[in-house]
Amino acid sequence: MTPPTVSNIGKTGSGAAANAEAVCGEWYESHGAAVYNYFRFHVADTEAAEDLTADTFLHVVRAIDCFDPNKGSPKTWILTVARNVLMDWRRRARLRQYVPIGTLHDLAVEAPSPEERLLREEEVGRLMNGIAALAPADRELIGLRYGSELDTAEMAAVLGIREGAVRSRLWRAMSRLREELTS
Amino acid sequence: MKRKRDIPEHLRELDAALSRIRFYPRASLGPEVIGRLRRGERLKGVGSPRISRSTLWAIAAALVLIVTGGFWVHRSGREVTVDHCCFDFDGGGRADDGVLVVASHGDQVHRIAVYEDRDGSHSFTPGDVIRIDRGRHVAVDGVTAGGLVTARHCCSDLDGGGPPDDGLVLLSIPPDKVTLVALYESRPGPSQTRLTLR
Repeated sequence: MTPPTVSNIGKTGSGAAANAEAVCGEWYESHGAAVYNYFRFHVADTEAAEDLTADTFLHVVRAIDCFDPNKGSPKTWILTVARNVLMDWRRRARLRQYVPIGTLHDLAVEAPSPEERLLREEEVGRLMNGIAALAPADRELIGLRYGSELDTAEMAAVLGIREGAVRSRLWRAMSRLREELTS
Repeated sequence: MKRKRDIPEHLRELDAALSRIRFYPRASLGPEVIGRLRRGERLKGVGSPRISRSTLWAIAAALVLIVTGGFWVHRSGREVTVDHCCFDFDGGGRADDGVLVVASHGDQVHRIAVYEDRDGSHSFTPGDVIRIDRGRHVAVDGVTAGGLVTARHCCSDLDGGGPPDDGLVLLSIPPDKVTLVALYESRPGPSQTRLTLR
């Protein structure tokens, strides 16, 4: 049996759709958490982040023929799709973002006690509130860097700008976040 | 680590704090997403009716036309009421005059009133001052002494007939007296020069 690969999508006749689903399933295993974390840096609601993650992979399976492995990695392509899904969602929802304490139940915490977990949630909540107060462009950079854990080259590919520009814009965004947190 | 060396000194602590943040999607999300892919489920929002950008522009343009032109038509039975604002009908120098026409559709004029749009509503409201209010017959109101000016305004659909082929003729004494107002229909050809006032 031919393993699912991007290169044989569209070449297997009736099996093309199944192959696309299999590839997307593998991509979800590899990059689903990065996509989810990207959305969590933008939306306070875990259910919204889950819906956006699912929608991203539904878009990916439909547009998989557009993916060109010569132009970039699956991760950067999927995050480009995720970015478009988020923009579309924002246009529809016109929501203001905020992070009320207590909605971080999906936060990964290696804390031995409930008290420590609470302190950690408060710390992360403060950071997320600071991020939510930033301009969308700044949130975008921080979400790609710390949510999706992209390096500057990958961020440059997603944003369509040079690496140097990514670095300078990211540091400016972080400086603004620092000011926001200390104000 | 190269990434760490890139970061300016004053942002390293923040970088470390942000790097420690990690969210775990619920374990069932993966199988759920794959299940949705297998079922060929539709995307959220996809297929829902959307108003195209061009339609939105058309609606916006229509609204702007209505608001800025101050032009509305109210139909009641066979009669139509047209409110058209704002122009300088009385020669006062300010485009703050409107005209209210009650007519049979494209036919007989029953009433014409010229008013000053005092409250800036771009339509006739109870607070506005009526400069002239006449019935179905053309008549000159008051003295027609010196200082009389003629104003002509064309063309709009002032009688509710449909085409924008109606004009107004006004005799005024600036700055705020209107002694005559009449409506005429503009027709192509020689008759255009002979105004049939209604």
